Amino acid sequence: MDSDGSKLETAERIILRWDSTASEEARGKMIFQSDRDEVDRFLRAVDEIQRSLSSTSISFASSSSSSAAAASAAVDDYEVKANSAIQIAMARLEDEFRSILLSHTTVFEPDSLFLEESSVSPSLTVEVGDDSTVTPTTDVAAEEEEINSPGGSGSGRLTRRRSSYRSTSSIREMDLIPPEAVSDLRSIVQRMVAAGYSRECIQVYGNVRKSAMETIFKQLGIVKISIGDVQRLDWEAVVGKIRQWIRAAKVCIRVVFSSEKRLCEQLFDGICIAMDETCFMETVKASALRLFTFPEAISISRRSPEKLFKILDLHDALTDMLPDIEAIFDSDSLDTIRAQAVEIQSRLADAARGILSEFENAVLREPSVVPVPGGTIHPLTRYVMNYIVMISDYKQTLDDLIMSNPSSGSDPNTPDMDFTELESKSPLDLHLIWLIVILHFNLEEKSHHYRDTSLAHIFIMNNIHYIVHKVKRSPELREMIGDHYLRKLTGIFRHAATNYQRATWVRVLNSLRDEGLHVSGSFSSGVSRSALRERFKAFNTMFEEVHRTQSTWSVPDAQLREELRISLSEHLIPAYRSFLGRFRGHIESGRHPENYLKYSVEDIETIVLDFFEGYTTPPHLRRR
Amino acid sequence: MAPATEFQGSFLSRISIRRNQIVSMDVNHEQELEELDYFQKHVAERFSDLLSSPSPPSSSSDAVFVSQPSDPILSIPWLQNLLDVFMSCEAEFKAVLSTTQISKSPVLERVLPEMLDRILKALDICNAVVYGIDSVRQSRRLAEIAVTALKQRPLCDGSVRRAKRALTRLLVGLNADGRDRSGCSSNRRTTSRSWSFGQRSNVTVGGGGSSGHVSKNCSAAKQIQAMVSNLVVPRGAEASGPAMPVYIMSSVMVLVMWVLVAAVPCQTSSVLVAPLSLPKHQSWASATVSIQERIGEEMKRKEKRCGGGGGGGLMEEMQRMERIGLSLMEFAEKFRFPAEEEEEEEVAEKVDELEEICRRMEVGLEDLQGQVRQVFHRLVRSRIEIVSVLDQAPAI
Repeated sequence: MDSDGSKLETAERIILRWDSTASEEARGKMIFQSDRDEVDRFLRAVDEIQRSLSSTSISFASSSSSSAAAASAAVDDYEVKANSAIQIAMARLEDEFRSILLSHTTVFEPDSLFLEESSVSPSLTVEVGDDSTVTPTTDVAAEEEEINSPGGSGSGRLTRRRSSYRSTSSIREMDLIPPEAVSDLRSIVQRMVAAGYSRECIQVYGNVRKSAMETIFKQLGIVKISIGDVQRLDWEAVVGKIRQWIRAAKVCIRVVFSSEKRLCEQLFDGICIAMDETCFMETVKASALRLFTFPEAISISRRSPEKLFKILDLHDALTDMLPDIEAIFDSDSLDTIRAQAVEIQSRLADAARGILSEFENAVLREPSVVPVPGGTIHPLTRYVMNYIVMISDYKQTLDDLIMSNPSSGSDPNTPDMDFTELESKSPLDLHLIWLIVILHFNLEEKSHHYRDTSLAHIFIMNNIHYIVHKVKRSPELREMIGDHYLRKLTGIFRHAATNYQRATWVRVLNSLRDEGLHVSGSFSSGVSRSALRERFKAFNTMFEEVHRTQSTWSVPDAQLREELRISLSEHLIPAYRSFLGRFRGHIESGRHPENYLKYSVEDIETIVLDFFEGYTTPPHLRRR
Repeated sequence: MAPATEFQGSFLSRISIRRNQIVSMDVNHEQELEELDYFQKHVAERFSDLLSSPSPPSSSSDAVFVSQPSDPILSIPWLQNLLDVFMSCEAEFKAVLSTTQISKSPVLERVLPEMLDRILKALDICNAVVYGIDSVRQSRRLAEIAVTALKQRPLCDGSVRRAKRALTRLLVGLNADGRDRSGCSSNRRTTSRSWSFGQRSNVTVGGGGSSGHVSKNCSAAKQIQAMVSNLVVPRGAEASGPAMPVYIMSSVMVLVMWVLVAAVPCQTSSVLVAPLSLPKHQSWASATVSIQERIGEEMKRKEKRCGGGGGGGLMEEMQRMERIGLSLMEFAEKFRFPAEEEEEEEVAEKVDELEEICRRMEVGLEDLQGQVRQVFHRLVRSRIEIVSVLDQAPAI
């Protein structure tokens, strides 16, 4: 007992020497920064006291208040001293613990972290209006200035990015604290837990690591932002923040949080049940909640079409991260974090669906009535088709999200759509087809605002042709739309071309017909010169009129323009040539033939080349 | 055209259908008045329940507390009841709104966007409250240390010192609430002599490490102020129209948010003592006015005690924790071993009470946090639905 007694005394002395409430010297330095002998001595001293307490005082160390009376009757003087010594030792160890943790707080180099996170596929930026078939006279600048979205919300500029957020990296744990420090910390934890001071340990650990986490967050650029703030930002700023968030979140979850978890395991595993879980929760819970504030704010923000693709990016990034989130936050106490991540993912999906639906609505109701000059391609058509092409880029995600077919026909103001012949198509495909259907519907409405029905037909022809052209150029989209519907569309614009020809040229060609010119039944003579003159005059007037107006009309697609000209030439030239051939003699034999024979066949051929050139002012009319 | 999203069971679908029906104006107006009346009664009843608070079982944690006759105002169960009341009023509100002809009401087109804005602020407040509850958890842990220490028998110097260490941090956390400590240290009863064990400032301050989770810009108090700014009771003809339920619901929302911010430490500047100027004479408002008054009194009391406006933290359990903590601290400072039997008994009682509070907090806070999240979700849904209604309204 004596040697024990002196051992205990020695132990006590050592502990008291390091009592920071007692001496300046004790406050001035840290045990664990002194030499190892000092550390060992202290720890052994603690063990000694602890051992003696547990072996001699089991019956006294009752935690029930009802036995207080009994206990106080048999108090051992020594015990009080031992108790006191333990408390001093624990207070000291707590400080040491904190000090070691603080001195090893890792400073992350954000750039080194981000290097691993580069996106897999290259990114192309393709601005709206990448049509290579644009002729010089069609305003290229106008195409690139595509700014009006159907809802009129201003910045509707679409950029097509193929950069994939489906990064290939996965969880990567880092050692936050070097192994020697870890073993020191563990030795402290063991003693604190053994003495019943695990709560203090958790407190200190949580506080230090939580602040470390806040610093890391700052370095990663994750700022506190309120939902109200996010709503007030303009969309361009939000786009930047989304990109930044995605990059930062991946690092947070896969590196930062996973490393913290590993640290907790390193320090607490095997010493006390569930202590590592508790400490991990204390460290990360608040930060994880804060991390999710931003995507949550995005998921509940006002929906408008241009937001679709960034929201899908966010959704995809979250989906990508979910397995890691589930793996890292696997304890019960972190249920809410997992749940929140899943909720946000689901809200983002809802938002995407909602946006698509609103987009369809917006296209249908797009109200502009001012006809585009020259019957050219309407900005709405461009916007919608570019939007659709981008949707086909996101096919993989959207196919999973869009689960219901578009609904049609409930509102009398909407077109009817029979989906039965398109049974093999996915809901997403049907939505795209539906978008084209309602675009067409809207365009038909718009075409009625042209006073000249010929121009209305040109308008429809141009726009539907553009749609077909865009679909054909994108193999992905082409497959989604399907050749069946594509053929239908082709039929529509060809029909429009035919309608145009009829509307314009029937009258003109009528002036070149035979009937009504011959007076008596005989063939060779008896042509009414006055009637003939009328005919020529009529033709000239009409043709001049057509020339004047239709050279200001526009058919942007070169091939279509050529086809149209050839087609009308094929009707016009032979008819005129024949008419001229047969009847010019009659005119030339009369007075002022030049008033009637204004055009040679070559003239007509040349003038036809002016049609659909989209001239802003009518060309100077050629005279002989 | 029906949207591709599923709004099953939402009032949205009822509105779309209704717009196509040909219903006489009079019949509709009758129905509206009835609905309004019912809504007002509903609000009045639920809130007066809160005042007398016979503590209906509302969560699984009640298994522990079933014997309580009534929950004191601002306690965790009472706050949970409050949130229940909010959710039920909100559900009724939606029902009222669905019978209103949105398209025929320009008034609604004015007040609904204001409500949307309030909802946004309420969402931020919900988040701040969730964080704030975390810091209450911190306090609980510290209290648990004190409890463990003071339950040790024999009660000796070591244990009491341990308790003192924990109590110090606890009291600092409860008083400071994350405000600038330089601003109010002079007002604390337990001044410097307790803090200085001669230690370096190792005493980790902040009843939570939740320093600054809410940025200054979105300070909860400011949010509430903004929410109230254009909240005006409808007068005249408007008072019997659809603007009225919107006003009532908005007032309810503001009140509930204000209570939460008052109860939970939210890292905010001083909260208004009585944000709402409610029309006292209206039946639905009387209970809410009383609640506002009672809580306002609590605020003033706390202000007197520790100077400077409240940064929140009026939760009943926290206040009791503070009282007990102070008294235990006093005991700890005077303690000389061995303790008198009387003293020990007194202390044991207080320690038991503190332990009880910790137990309640352990379960209650989790549940409360969960409920606040539910409120959050509900508000989000409302927002989405109101937005769709507004977007549809002009397109006839």
